[in-house]
Amino acid sequence: MKQNKIITKILLLAVFAFLKADISTAQETENAENADISKQVAALKPGESNFMMAGLVTFGFVNQNTTSTTVLGKSIEKTNSIGDADRYEFSPMFLWRHGNKLLAEFEPSWDGSALGVNWADVSYYASRGLIVRGGYIVLPFGTYTKRLAAGWINKLTSDPVGVDMAGSDFGVEAEGGFPLGDMKWSYDVSLSNGFQLNPNGQLSPVGISAINNGKTVCGRLALLPLSNSSLEIGVSGLMGSLATPVGDTNIYNNPIASMYAVDLNFVKNISPIQINIKGQYSMSGVNNQDYSNPDTTQSKYNFNNTTSSYFVQASIRPNQSRNKILKKMELACRYVNYTSPKQSLWGQNYSEVNLSLDYWLSWKTVLKVGYENIKYDGTTMNNIPSGLDGNSTSVNRLIIQFSTEL
Amino acid sequence: MKIISINKIATIALVCFGVSGLISLNSCVEGKKSAAKSGMQLWSENCGRCHNSPSSNNFSQEEWRTVGLHMQSRALLTNKETDKIIEFLSN
Repeated sequence: MKQNKIITKILLLAVFAFLKADISTAQETENAENADISKQVAALKPGESNFMMAGLVTFGFVNQNTTSTTVLGKSIEKTNSIGDADRYEFSPMFLWRHGNKLLAEFEPSWDGSALGVNWADVSYYASRGLIVRGGYIVLPFGTYTKRLAAGWINKLTSDPVGVDMAGSDFGVEAEGGFPLGDMKWSYDVSLSNGFQLNPNGQLSPVGISAINNGKTVCGRLALLPLSNSSLEIGVSGLMGSLATPVGDTNIYNNPIASMYAVDLNFVKNISPIQINIKGQYSMSGVNNQDYSNPDTTQSKYNFNNTTSSYFVQASIRPNQSRNKILKKMELACRYVNYTSPKQSLWGQNYSEVNLSLDYWLSWKTVLKVGYENIKYDGTTMNNIPSGLDGNSTSVNRLIIQFSTEL
Repeated sequence: MKIISINKIATIALVCFGVSGLISLNSCVEGKKSAAKSGMQLWSENCGRCHNSPSSNNFSQEEWRTVGLHMQSRALLTNKETDKIIEFLSN
């Protein structure tokens, strides 16, 4: 009897010890799991900073027929290319936000032959309607370059020629948007290093090493007069003194560049179709200057150094159609005109008609099948300064293009 | 001469537009109709001005705050519009 009691006690002690050990192990496992979850939660906890990558990639195929007509006769050239150099683009965009007031943006871009930078700047969101920016900025001239040039936003297969007159520059910028009753308006102004006047009369950015004391002022004012923001009208202006390139012996008479642009954007849903109309007219001019005559190299000659460019585009998309395929399709067309000084080395009368049928694979991914018809007359050195020489070129392109936002 | 006269006219027009803009800055009060707009309505009206409107699950809450700042600058949205659109897309 006594022996049984002892055995029972030993067994109970053994069971107790086993259970205690098991509970301890379970507790340890639970503690480890809790620590792990805490670590994961800490990793996901919103911080002051956020770093992310967006950007875009565009590539495709182009089949091109070029017909050139000169005094010597007519010639036809046929080419095709995968990843056409004019349209291939890989541009990752890096965004770094610190808190809610500071945003750094950097977008390098590779076009298949050269690596460039579209913008590299830092913005401070100072107060209501005031964003201050510094660095390598896109100048606030028109809307195309800043808003519509990305391949996954552009509804056509190429960019309008001559629309990017101002481009990007090193400078500072202030911008903002305000309500105006049920309308809205916005401003965007910049001060940058500006341009230099090349011996042939063309402008090019002076870059980060400014070689002139003068700076260039650029700005855009826009009004959205309808309460649903469907219509936007903007006017832009740029003015700045021009530098003389290092090594250029020309003596210019206080050269000044001025540019003006008017842009329009209208997007309206008329069920089941969305109508999208965009356009921009841009003009660039340099005040009266004498340039090196390429025919004689010794004498000077003068021409009206004014360049103009405009485009008008329209697209329709049955985005509210019940048909699942039809609602992802969009038909777009664009007319482009570009005229540069006819008595310059780069004188040209250029026009382009684009058509594109787009299929939206998602909101940010598009497959385009496009047709482009381009016609231009150019100058040759033999005819300067008398003007365009009658040479003409006609280009027909068939393009299949894919573009997505990263 | 032609360029200069065009320059003068355009500069005067730009200055007038700028001055009238600055004067109207004081009256930059949001109308009742605009003030009542939801984040969804503003998202639909403003994103689609340039590109297709994204859905909320494209980015995380933190990423939407970053994208929101980028787009406030690109589309020149008002501060209130930006806040409402970010709030709508973050939920």
